[in-house]
Amino acid sequence: MRLLVVEDDPDLARQLSEALVEAGYVVDTAHDGEEGHFLGDTEPYDAVILDLGLPTLDGLSVLERWREAGRDMPVLVLTARDRWREKVAGIDAGADDYVTKPFHMEEVLARIRALVRRAAGLASNEVACGPLLIDTKGARASVHGRSLPLTALEYRLLAYLAHHQGRVVSRTELIEHLYDQNFDRDSNTIEVFVGRLRKKLGVELIHTARGLGYSLVAPGDAD
Amino acid sequence: MRTNSLAFRLVAGAAVWSLAALVIGGIILSMFFRDHVERSLDDRLTLLIDGLAAGSDTNAQGRPILIRPLAESQFDTPYSGWYWQIGGPGPEALRSRSLWDMVLRAGPAVKTVDGLTLHHAKGPEGQALRVARRQILLPDRDQPLGFEVAADLADNRRAIARFDQVVAWALGVMGVGLVVAMVIQVRFGLLPLRRIRRALVRIRDGKARRLEGDFPREIAPLAGEINTLLDHNAEVVTRARTHVGNLAHALKTPLSVLGNEAAEAGGPLADQVARQTALMRRQVDHHLMRARAAATADVLGARAEVAPVAADLARAIQRLHRDKGIEIAVDCPADLAFRGEAQDLEEMIGNLLENAAKWGRHDIRLSAARRDDRLEIAIEDDGPGLAPDAMQRVMARGERLDETVAGSGLGLAIVRDLAELYGGEIRLDVAHLGGLAAKLRLPLALG
Repeated sequence: MRLLVVEDDPDLARQLSEALVEAGYVVDTAHDGEEGHFLGDTEPYDAVILDLGLPTLDGLSVLERWREAGRDMPVLVLTARDRWREKVAGIDAGADDYVTKPFHMEEVLARIRALVRRAAGLASNEVACGPLLIDTKGARASVHGRSLPLTALEYRLLAYLAHHQGRVVSRTELIEHLYDQNFDRDSNTIEVFVGRLRKKLGVELIHTARGLGYSLVAPGDAD
Repeated sequence: MRTNSLAFRLVAGAAVWSLAALVIGGIILSMFFRDHVERSLDDRLTLLIDGLAAGSDTNAQGRPILIRPLAESQFDTPYSGWYWQIGGPGPEALRSRSLWDMVLRAGPAVKTVDGLTLHHAKGPEGQALRVARRQILLPDRDQPLGFEVAADLADNRRAIARFDQVVAWALGVMGVGLVVAMVIQVRFGLLPLRRIRRALVRIRDGKARRLEGDFPREIAPLAGEINTLLDHNAEVVTRARTHVGNLAHALKTPLSVLGNEAAEAGGPLADQVARQTALMRRQVDHHLMRARAAATADVLGARAEVAPVAADLARAIQRLHRDKGIEIAVDCPADLAFRGEAQDLEEMIGNLLENAAKWGRHDIRLSAARRDDRLEIAIEDDGPGLAPDAMQRVMARGERLDETVAGSGLGLAIVRDLAELYGGEIRLDVAHLGGLAAKLRLPLALG
């Protein structure tokens, strides 16, 4: 899961980024409206945390531009302006949720989880696929109740496939959602990670669609 | 009409002036008429003297005789009021039959015209007489004789009295007419002032923000000044609100950073920082809300339509809680308006709807109505509701019954503070839908 944080206050941006990384997300950070708009417009994010009071281009305009351009990733608005008029304006501009400053980090994490889950059409924090159970709140996975020792990247790969289970996900898409923008991307590493993940899972859940990508399918659902 | 009014001043001023003009005019008319009547009597007396003289002669003894008497029959009727006398009061004098056995004794001359003198005298029955006398030299006499003709002034005085009466009535009616016309004119002239008053009442009632309308040249500057004042007022409020918003923004980001840093670090210092930042956050929220609301509660002309506010908030909150499938049914007449700032109404309805969405299962009902000249807004949910003692506690500032549901806990307290600032109130009750019902009573904007 790859997120974008657009926040001009460097301390707050760092705190958000750290907390999100710790929760198992890949995070890109933008410090002004122009940069934030550009990243959100060009990179595929699973959710965006957008501060409304931004230099160069205000958050509301950024949001409106994304929505006009058809970018429909979930957006959590972060605002110090807590009047309902501003909240309504944000929601009308296309925000999916808002958190008013000052906030507790857990609240932001909970809202982001809910947004990502909603985008995947899931109802709870737990994603199941056959014997596999992923706890998105705790960033943990288990098979038949046995906890899996996953690295952060492996967890992200598994969680992304689980959120889009049944669908073939291309390697490019995986790379885009598993690494931040500064990462030197090499699609071969994905194959390595998928191999390791298969071994750790111990059950045949990840299928390879040759030349297309991978899909996570529960054993009973396999065609 | 009160004495301390423009209309009274204008009407009283005009009435005093008209009255004086009418009285002076009446006196002049009366004097002119008196003079005219007196002059025509004098002319007639002069003619009669000339006629008398023409009909007189002297007999052989040199005494005056009347060879052709005057035609007027009044001179033959005793004490008729018309008399003549030739030769003064002496024994050889000739007198009209009307004098009977009386002698005409004229007083001193009051006027002299071409050898004719005019006198006043007392008649045989005590009548006031006007006497004209001329010294005429008859043929064969060396001494001129005094020819006198007298007429009763009673007719003249009656005519003058009647004339005065008519003039007084006519001028009186005219005076009353003038005052009435003046009152009408003043009222008509001052109509624009009434319009200004009505326009100001509309502003006070929140039906208008500025003085609208085409005012006459004399009071257009006044209307302009009032509008400038109103604009200035609105600008000051807006500026104050902007400053307050900026302050909020400026404070909240550092508060977030501090709070998060403390939560991350752990330890007694971090706990202390976390507690204090939470306290600061509540204080900032509470006092900013008070400052914003206090700046707006007494602003003239504030008015907010309820229906659009309710619709906007219902749409936004439904979207926020679309996972839960919250449905908000809004029942609000289109013409209902709150007498206050739209933003404050939004805060109250927004916080209550948010609470309802948080606790409700599926259905929320927002209904607004006019009751006893107050605006009543009820927000009901189908959630678990609250026990009566919990309803009391939850209204206390910042009290939260369930720490696990997100929210600062200030929501209801903010609603209560805002409602009280506007002289309204909030009550909690059991909803028809089964959950909690929050009922707001607020000032209604009339019209």
